[in-house]
Amino acid sequence: MDIFQKLVIGPFERFLEKALHFLPNFITAILVLIVGIVFGMVLKVLFLRFFKAIGLDKLSERSGVIELLRKGGIRDSVSILLSRIIGWLTIVVFAVISMKALEVSTVERIFERILLYLPNVFVATLLLLFGYLLSNFLGRAALIASVNAGMKISGLIGRFVKFTILVFSGTMALEQLGIGRETVVIAFTIIFGGIVLALALAFGFGGKEIARTYLEKKFLKEEEKDDIKHL
Amino acid sequence: MEKITLREEIHSKIDEIKSADILVGIPSYNNAHTIGHVVRAVQAGLAKYFPDKKSVLVNSDGGSTDGTMEIFHQSTIEDFQSILLHHRVGSFFKIATPYYGIPGKGSAFRTIFELSDTINAKACVVVDSDLRSITPEWIELLIKPVIEGGFDYVAPLYHRHKYDGTITNSIIYPLTRALYGKRIRQPIGGDFGFSGRLAKFYLNREVWETDVARYGIDIWMTTTAIANNFRVCQSFLGAKIHDPKDPGADLSAMLYQVVGAAFDSMEAYSDVWKNIIKTELVPIYGFQYAVGLEPVSVNLDRMIDKFRLGVKELGEIWKEFLSKDVINFLHMADGVSKEEFNIPDEVWVEIIYSFAIASHKKVISKEHLLKSLTPLYIGRTASFVKETWNSDASEVEGKIEHLCRIFEERKILFIERWNNERG
Repeated sequence: MDIFQKLVIGPFERFLEKALHFLPNFITAILVLIVGIVFGMVLKVLFLRFFKAIGLDKLSERSGVIELLRKGGIRDSVSILLSRIIGWLTIVVFAVISMKALEVSTVERIFERILLYLPNVFVATLLLLFGYLLSNFLGRAALIASVNAGMKISGLIGRFVKFTILVFSGTMALEQLGIGRETVVIAFTIIFGGIVLALALAFGFGGKEIARTYLEKKFLKEEEKDDIKHL
Repeated sequence: MEKITLREEIHSKIDEIKSADILVGIPSYNNAHTIGHVVRAVQAGLAKYFPDKKSVLVNSDGGSTDGTMEIFHQSTIEDFQSILLHHRVGSFFKIATPYYGIPGKGSAFRTIFELSDTINAKACVVVDSDLRSITPEWIELLIKPVIEGGFDYVAPLYHRHKYDGTITNSIIYPLTRALYGKRIRQPIGGDFGFSGRLAKFYLNREVWETDVARYGIDIWMTTTAIANNFRVCQSFLGAKIHDPKDPGADLSAMLYQVVGAAFDSMEAYSDVWKNIIKTELVPIYGFQYAVGLEPVSVNLDRMIDKFRLGVKELGEIWKEFLSKDVINFLHMADGVSKEEFNIPDEVWVEIIYSFAIASHKKVISKEHLLKSLTPLYIGRTASFVKETWNSDASEVEGKIEHLCRIFEERKILFIERWNNERG
């Protein structure tokens, strides 16, 4: 009888005791999760209305963001996309809180670290996304403007603008994630500083006139004015 | 937006004027060289043809730094006998004011509409301040159809050099004619007559933060008048000789504003133009005569080079909305010698309609789309110059007429694409 008590009843009672102790936390966690889901959905709807009211879609259409999203296979409007992200973020935050409510120390520690790191990942993702969109948009704007100005190296200018913005946003994202922070910043500073210095040298030490003549010869065709009036 | 009539000096001037029969508006920006002549021609026109009418001359200025507004105030006809008038009968007032809003011709016009509405003008005229060929008769020809003929909108009709107004000839005139069915030869001429009620209608549109506030104003006024069933006519004004529009403004920006406003109107009035299948003549006033025009110099090599640069660098962008045939043609045109260079009407019409569809479908940002049209437009202009180098005015008109017919013939197909290809 003693053996049965020790081997079966005892552990079972301890398990039951632990389960009974855990159950309220579990129910709380489920409740928090449900509240989080509902709250996330409500926030999604509210933000969607807010974004539509302030005309975010029109703004993103004008700035070319929509077009770039479409290129990436995303057919939704920016309002829908952002409100959906906000909704999901809310749910994720509540999910983490609900895990914390379980009071399991290992899980708690892991989720605490994830929770603390999550904003960095979110900001880095946004930086990369925004950098990608902006680099495409401004790269193309620079390309079209330089073609219309008759610059022979238009393609190079467009790619340079695009690449610079991509590198810049990548650097910012890595810095946000805390990856090779100093190395990345130093590398970026050296590259960017080098380009600026090279340009400064070209225009300064090289002589304004020489640089101008060179640039005119290199980039522009001989301009013979004509009298065509377009309007 | 702030109202111009709330300004103290304008308010007191309006109190003095109270109401007027005719308002003549002159938008300006650094036009000191030409505005004096324009003011005197307008004043002579009003004195000669509308002596019994109360008139107001308004200069809506964009912040000129060359003394345009001062010259506007100082310019007057000293000797009315020189224009065969012994005395001026009706009262004549002048207002010069900087306008509010986005810098541009459209904002200047908005101020003119606002003043017209405030003083309850029956007829209005707007004339460009860069005109060198304006005569007093222009005022008569732009106002009389409104006052005596019951028209709401009078578009100008002039003889221009074959290479003056190339955006009009290659895009705006054929497109407007094909879409709205009215053969208004100079839909963006810049010098218009209109009724007070149409000025009020313009003023109440919510367009003053768009490209209509810039160079888009002319095409917007014309399409708005047609699409809303206002009575339109044309007046023959003779020769149009003018300074180039704002030499500082670059071509791609002008093209973007004008074509962008035309495409915006297409969105706004798609229910109107989709149902129009025929084009009709618009009544013409004035005695038509031939005029000699100064020759102009053209740098064809530079134009073709710009077209080639565009094909090389912007081909990838155009691929998103131009057909394969057109892209292949453009590459072929890029490869031929300058002597053989040609962009036929059929290809050009396909290009313009494809840009309109791309704008409608929002394939890429509208500004990028329309600014990428510039090299193609320059190429087309070069082709037109080559084709018409030895042509006289009537032959050139014949070629423009041919282009218009292609636009009209392909409209049905264009409507199908417009309806079907919504992204």
